[in-house]
Amino acid sequence: MTTFFQLVVVGISTGSVFAIVGMSLVLVYRATGIVNFAQGVFAVLAGLLTYSLGKHMSLPLAAVLATLVTAVVATLVAVVAVGIRGRTTHLASLIITVGIAILAEAVLLAAFGEVPRSYSAVSDRAWDIGGVLVQPQYAVLTVVALAAAVGLTLFLRHTIVGQALVASADSPRAAELIGLNLRSVAVIAFAVAGALTAIGGVLLAPTVPVAYSSGLSITINGFAAAVVGGLASIRLALLGGYALGVVEQLVIGYVDPQYNLIIALVVMLVLIGWRSRGELAV
Amino acid sequence: MTLLELDHLVVRYGQAVAVDGISLTVGAGERVALIGPNGAGKTSVLNAVCGVVRPAAGRVRIDGRDLTGATPAAVVRRGISQVPEGRHVFATLPVEANLLLGAYGRVFSLEIVSSTLRYVRSRREVRERLDRVYELLPKLHELRDRPAGRTSGGEQQMVAIGRALMAEPRLLAIDELSLGLAPVLVQQLAEFLLRLNEQGVAILLVDQSASLAFSLCERAYVLETGRVVLEGPSGDLAGRSEVRSAYLGGASGGPS
Repeated sequence: MTTFFQLVVVGISTGSVFAIVGMSLVLVYRATGIVNFAQGVFAVLAGLLTYSLGKHMSLPLAAVLATLVTAVVATLVAVVAVGIRGRTTHLASLIITVGIAILAEAVLLAAFGEVPRSYSAVSDRAWDIGGVLVQPQYAVLTVVALAAAVGLTLFLRHTIVGQALVASADSPRAAELIGLNLRSVAVIAFAVAGALTAIGGVLLAPTVPVAYSSGLSITINGFAAAVVGGLASIRLALLGGYALGVVEQLVIGYVDPQYNLIIALVVMLVLIGWRSRGELAV
Repeated sequence: MTLLELDHLVVRYGQAVAVDGISLTVGAGERVALIGPNGAGKTSVLNAVCGVVRPAAGRVRIDGRDLTGATPAAVVRRGISQVPEGRHVFATLPVEANLLLGAYGRVFSLEIVSSTLRYVRSRREVRERLDRVYELLPKLHELRDRPAGRTSGGEQQMVAIGRALMAEPRLLAIDELSLGLAPVLVQQLAEFLLRLNEQGVAILLVDQSASLAFSLCERAYVLETGRVVLEGPSGDLAGRSEVRSAYLGGASGGPS
């Protein structure tokens, strides 16, 4: 039984990262209609940057800097994906983000090398709760994911900038007619989502070392979490992330660690197949 | 002065010519209609005015100033707002957010931080404008918290008009006011537009219903395959036999 709870605790922690990436994907999709397949790259970039910068300065400062740099990179990705005139079709944008993800692996490999990197967590001492070890880092990840969900929901519902993002997805034509600039809207969405995913990556690296090639699996897991809510719901992406994290850990613990990514893919395909009769049209 | 002037406007989509050299004017505070069958180029004219499509030739002037090929945002800031065909409300947002975005869109620019600050600083003025829109369309006040997508067709038309009014336009361009709405609703909206016009807002109405266009507007242009085939005061046009047979279904209609 202890093993079970231990796996659940770890699952919620890794699931928080899936949730964070999933919510980022939802934000970008809701505002621009684009599925950003380079989203996981932002987590890797932020993690590796924190490691490299951390050698020259305090870790918290390195983490903040890495997050800011990643947000700037995300705005550049937005401009490339959406196009200078903002008239690239959604399908073309999606393919551009796939290309960026592939290119990014090469760039990250050249810049940071191939060794997976990790650094110290918020605290080295784990809490022992009835035989189940809980790393403080897990708690931080879970709290950050919850806070991000609440924050994003409030942002989209109650701020004029958030409402402008939703409006651009609801009706791009009307959004343009009232004077909103769709490219600016895309840039805000990518920047906010990029910063959020970066925070996820920064917090992930101490528990699971990240390497140049980790981006794809992070994207796939995040996408599987987001698909639970049809790429439209922040809340369901959060729940989807937790559920996926726990199921993956249980399979890793009781069946075979190799099945890790396959689960995310199966969840994704089943949900897309099930939902494709309805609202989801990716 | 002429508020809006189109000078030999041409709009092409690839090889297809949608608008083939149309010239028209709308004066300040005037009510003008564009009528014609499907595919006559009415919506393309509005899209060229509002900066959604770039004209292949010709000029769009607002207050005598050349705004050919300007962005939609620039046209909104110059005082022309469009109510698009099919309403296009922001379906998942509450009615009130739909309206407020109309005011935000007017101050929006590439620089989000400064445009948001500009919007927040004018908060009180935006609030007053919102109250005026609620006064004009009290129904919207009742519905303010409901997602716009969950209101009726007539209510959505009011949301779309209210949203356009939040940008304080001097000219309201309306694409297909009557489409899909019950006649009694169309009548109410037409009366509302007349009241709005009394406050000085010019109206450019695009509609397939010539009887509505003639009863609401002082002047009209009749479009066919991208050209103006007839123009003049609504009363004169409604009396012409070719217009009666083509658009008014024989003997019915005419100005009320």
